Amino acid sequence: MRLVRQAQLILLAALLPASLTAAFHPRRPPWFQPALAQGEEMLPTVLAWGDNVLWVDARSAEEYGTDHVPGALLLNLESWDQLFPKFLDGWAPGKKVVVYCSAGTCELSREVAERLRKNGISSVFVLKGGWEAWKTRK
Amino acid sequence: MISRLHAPASPRFVNVSRVLVRIALGILFVFAGAAKVDDPGAFAIEIQRYHLIPWIPTVLASVYLPWLEILVGALLIVKRFEQGALLLIACLLIVFTFALASATFRGLGIDCGCFGKTFTATGTIFPLLRNVLLLAFTGFVWAGRQ
Repeated sequence: MRLVRQAQLILLAALLPASLTAAFHPRRPPWFQPALAQGEEMLPTVLAWGDNVLWVDARSAEEYGTDHVPGALLLNLESWDQLFPKFLDGWAPGKKVVVYCSAGTCELSREVAERLRKNGISSVFVLKGGWEAWKTRK
Repeated sequence: MISRLHAPASPRFVNVSRVLVRIALGILFVFAGAAKVDDPGAFAIEIQRYHLIPWIPTVLASVYLPWLEILVGALLIVKRFEQGALLLIACLLIVFTFALASATFRGLGIDCGCFGKTFTATGTIFPLLRNVLLLAFTGFVWAGRQ
């Protein structure tokens, strides 16, 4: 079977540069990395999306008042009924919504993201590391 | 005029079309691979967004797939190991199409990641349709292999 033999040789040939990439490439992926949960995104990825992002702050109004991601809208579960209409004013279909809370361990952003999805908002993501990740960005 | 439209395409036209499609398909694969080989770390994250395979296989795929795409694309352009290259291109397109269809079905709201950071098409529907078209082109080239 010439066809299969050719395919095998090509697969083998690709192994050499791939091995060198895995061993020496400066931007090679780490072998051990905590996996992203479904619907979670890392800050560099979100920043790469540019202006097509609507930030949502799921923390309390006090924390939001102290400081927040520029342009972020306040939307938390306590004041959902008052804040959701304001969110809809700022949202547009096709825009990616990124929700964050105080740190990687808080659950508020996941709960707000889930509620947004239930309200028919698509492309909703949770920022991995939350506000802490934003504050410590390079 | 009508009879001309219904007339079968001349063998010469079909052969020239096949050569052009083969080269275009090869260039597309070389381009797709080259766009990702520069940053395998970013490509690994793109693969992970599909939530189909664990992290270690993701890392292996992120360093291997771009080179495989470059290799099969280049071989298709220079018409060497053509059958093997076409078989692998068809397999890759089927796998990519399955992944895109799965992401679309699960409503992941992710981008294709097919061309790294060079060309960021939003969503998975357009890349899905494009892959189906590319599979048809692969079949067209396969039909004319010697």
